[in-house]
Formats: sequence, C-alpha cells, structure tokens
Amino acid sequence: MKSRYVILAVAVLAVVPWILDNRYFFHIATMATIMIPLAISMNLMLKIGQLSLAQGAFMGLGGYGAALLTMRLGVPPMVSLLTGGLIAAVVAAVFGPIFLRIKGTYFVLLTFSFGEIVNLIMQDWISLTGGNSGLYGIPKFSIFGFRLTAISHYYAMGLIFTAISFGVLWAIERSDIGAIFQSLNENEMVTRSLGGNAIAWRIAAFVLSALIAGIAGGFYAFYLGLLTPDAFGMRTLVDLIVMNTIGGPASVIGPMLGAILIVPLPELLREARQYQLLIYGISLGVFLMFFRQGLVGLLRLDKPGDRP
Amino acid sequence: MITQIIVNGLLSGLVYVIMALGFTLVFGIMRVVNFAHGEFYMVGAMAVLLFYGYLGWPFFVAVATAGIISALIGLIVERLLLRPLLSEEMPGMIMTLAVAITLQSAALLIVGPSEQGISRPFGGTWTLLDARVPWDRTIVALCALVILAGFYSLLKFTPVGLAMQAVAQDRETASLMGIESKRIYAVAFGISCLLAGLAGALMAPIYPIGPYMGEIVIMKAFVIVILGGLGSVPGAMLGGLLIGLCESAVATLLNPTAALIASFGIVLVIIIFRPTGLMGRAVR
Repeated sequence: MKSRYVILAVAVLAVVPWILDNRYFFHIATMATIMIPLAISMNLMLKIGQLSLAQGAFMGLGGYGAALLTMRLGVPPMVSLLTGGLIAAVVAAVFGPIFLRIKGTYFVLLTFSFGEIVNLIMQDWISLTGGNSGLYGIPKFSIFGFRLTAISHYYAMGLIFTAISFGVLWAIERSDIGAIFQSLNENEMVTRSLGGNAIAWRIAAFVLSALIAGIAGGFYAFYLGLLTPDAFGMRTLVDLIVMNTIGGPASVIGPMLGAILIVPLPELLREARQYQLLIYGISLGVFLMFFRQGLVGLLRLDKPGDRP
Repeated sequence: MITQIIVNGLLSGLVYVIMALGFTLVFGIMRVVNFAHGEFYMVGAMAVLLFYGYLGWPFFVAVATAGIISALIGLIVERLLLRPLLSEEMPGMIMTLAVAITLQSAALLIVGPSEQGISRPFGGTWTLLDARVPWDRTIVALCALVILAGFYSLLKFTPVGLAMQAVAQDRETASLMGIESKRIYAVAFGISCLLAGLAGALMAPIYPIGPYMGEIVIMKAFVIVILGGLGSVPGAMLGGLLIGLCESAVATLLNPTAALIASFGIVLVIIIFRPTGLMGRAVR
C-alpha cells in the first residue's frame, strides 16, 4: 500500500473531533497530538539502531522548563515553549557525546539511568517543581495576544505541532540524511569509510529527538495546566516503546499509527492500570514474535529503504 | 562516622553485587540486556511477603523458595520468549521489557498498587568499632557472602561454570569444543533470576514491597555494570561495592537522590576516560 494513502486517512481522522464536537474526544485527540511527536522522536533514535530511554526526561525538561519560565519569569508562552525544547536539546547535546561514545548497549543503560535521575530530581526539588504533589496553575497558552481557552484551540495547535514534526522526520527519512542514518544502523564501517562522521550524525539525531520531545513536554504542560513527575517516567517510555513496536519502527508512519491506537487505551482503562500493562506486555510479545515489522509491515507500506 | 559510612556502604554494596552479577552474567553470555531483572527481584520479595509474611513459614525457607520460584519463572521466560529472539539485540531487549511489564501487571493484579511491609525477622543492633550495625542488615550481608561464594565456586570449579565462561569469551569456539550454548543460556538465565530473586527476598523485610520496586534497583544495577564493565564478573563485584560505598557517603552527608546523581556522575567520568569500564574488555 502506498504510504500516502495512510497519511491521507490519518489526516481525515484528524478532522473527526470537530465533526463529533465532543469534549472527551477532543481530549483524546489532543493527547494523541502530544504522544505522536514523542513516539516519532523515539523512532528517530531507533532508526540509528539506538533505543533512547531519555525521551521521558527530555519531555519533562521541556515541560517544567516552559511552565516555570512563564510562571516565575513571565516569559510569553510561545517563547517558553520553544525555550523548553531548546533546554532539552542543549542537555542532549551535552550528554549525547558521552552516551553515544560507545556503540550499542551502553546507550540504553545510560539513557535509562539518566531518565531515572532526572525524574528523581523532579520529585525531590520541591521548591522548584512542587515534587510529587505537582506543579499547579500553569497559565493558559497564548500566542500573539490570542489566548487558547477552548480545548479545540489546543487540539488545533497540537495538530500543527504534530504535522511539523511528522513532516520534518518524513523528509529526513526520505533524504540522503535518512540513508546515512540507516547505514549507521546497518554498517557503520562502510559509512565511515565513505567519509560520514558517525558520531556527529548520532549526536545530531539525539539532539533533534530531544528538541521534539521537549516541545511536546511544553505543550503538554500548557494544555493540562499541571505537571507531575510520574508523567515523564517509565510509564511514558513504555507507552512510546509499545507505539513503536506495534506501529513498526521502520517508517515514521509506524509510531504515528501506534500512537493513534494506544493513546485512547489509558483513557478507556483509566481505573485499571494493571490490565493496561498486561495488554501492553502481551501485545509487545506477540508483535515481537510474529509481526516484527508492526503495522507498517502488515499493511505492506512502502518503507524508506526500498526507494526505486 | 567514617566507620559507619563504610559499614553501611559494604552492607548495601553486597546486595548490589548480587543484583549486578546476575545482570552482567546474562549480558556476558547471551548478549541480552535484561530489563526484567528488577522484576525478578520484585518476584523474590513478593514471594517472601506471601510465604513469610502471610503464611508464616520460617524466614530462610521462604527466601530459598522465593529464589527457586524466581529461577523457575526465569527458565520459562528464557525458553519461550527469549530464545527465539536471541540473535537480535533490539527485539530481545524489548522482549525483556515486555516480560518486565507483564510481571508488574501480575503483581498489581495480585497484591494491588500499594506498598507493603513485613515484620523484621531479626531485630536489634551490634557495634563494630564506633559503628552501629543492625542485625537484619548483617544477616542479609552474610547471606550475600554465602551466595557469592557459591556463585564463584560454581563459575570456577564446575564443568557448567567453565562452559559458561567459555561461551562468554567466544561463543563459536565454545560450540566447536562441544559446548551446547543453548543449554548454557538456560543455565545462565536461571542463575541470574535466582540471584535477583534471592536478593529481593533478602531485602524484603528491609524495604517496602510493591509492584514497582524493581525500577530503582535495576537502575543501580545498570550503573554498577557500566562502572565495572558490561559482562565482567569481577567488574560487577568491584562496581557494586564502590557504588555502595559512594552512596553511603553521599546519602549520609546529603540525601539519597544526591547519592544516585553522584554514582551516575562517576559512571560518566569513567566512560569518558575508560570506556570499557574498570574491569571490562574491549567491546567487540
């Protein structure tokens, strides 16, 4: 199947909340516009063969960064949102060279530990973040003097953000850079012998993925109006991994489809986290055993690797 | 105070060593990052909660049973879920994550989300120089030493231990020498889960027991094995004790979160100057 049919179908689906005009449906759709960019940011790292477990931490840095800039310093929300993303990107640029110094497994272990520590700091630095009881009273988002009050405004903003992130990574995937990323995953020696600077490309991918996750975190903060550290911990990472595995990591469409399927689940199973985990565990197992390519494989979508 | 810091550090360090050993053993032999390692620790603690806390079995019988249960679950997981994915690093890793969240959900279904405690089987303290040492931590540390001695003799003096070392060093040559690596994988994973289950079981009276208790434990195991060198058994021992001491010092002077940040900082410095870890070999 052509990928663009799927993208078209998703675009049509994106209009549905306005047709139904139901607050609850708008909420799920808005959460999807936060989770899709996050899932895509993890997918970018999977493309170069690395599982980044720091995406929750980057989302948190962007979220707390943006919220505190506006609350404490009165920075306009739009500026805070982008600065939050930049904070995450700068942190990734500082730690990336160390995390990516050794190829392979170390990156997973280091990003996991990094994420846990960032989360502990969010929990313990109560004067700044409010700790586990949360950071309340984040003002509504506004842009050029227009305040976003209705949920549909946030959904529209989320759609724009999702479309931009998807568009950028879709373009990267199909460009020469995408080919370099793929070769980094498959055969680094060849890339390096052809003059590619492997570590620089890896760091670049890590920084871009942190930027996207950070902005998603900022948007999350302004949309919900409150932040708690557990939203940026292992829970979110598991969500992102499930989205990528079920959707299929080979194409950026995969995590988008995965997110659209997975995001409604916690809302439906709100009071039953144990069943949600069970469903996640079993579906991860089934997809890894039998449908390694995820929905992208099942739908036989054209992948970036098989360009003519 | 310095004696107290050292004593506390060694007491917790010994348990870290047991956790990290199991993790590094599986990585060294199977090349699998086992994200469910912390959940096997949780399974051990839960089993003690059931057998010792609810059913009133003698503590050490409960601990041994907990270790065996954890090992049996590990053997089933290895055979059914990990073996088909062994040749691929990323899917294997995500499969262990699937195992981790499935075990968490099982624990949530059975005992619920709240943390529980059980009565301590040993009370009181004794004094070593000017340090006060609680008896329960002492017993845990002694058991940890026994477990370590057992593990070490298994690895050094038994045929299966030597075979494990051979597979860890060079899988292909080992198989040419007639070592059936599949059987070794099962043994290694079983032992690893046994160690994690025993560690969780021993620590059950000391820390609160809950479905998510494995998360922070596995993070410490990660830090330790990177410090010591991924896949290195002596590295895991050295790393575990070092991290235990470092945490004890920083936690006494500042707070536990600062202690974790400090150990992570040490690991980053090690990676910059000695990427293979303190005792690691070059990454192949």
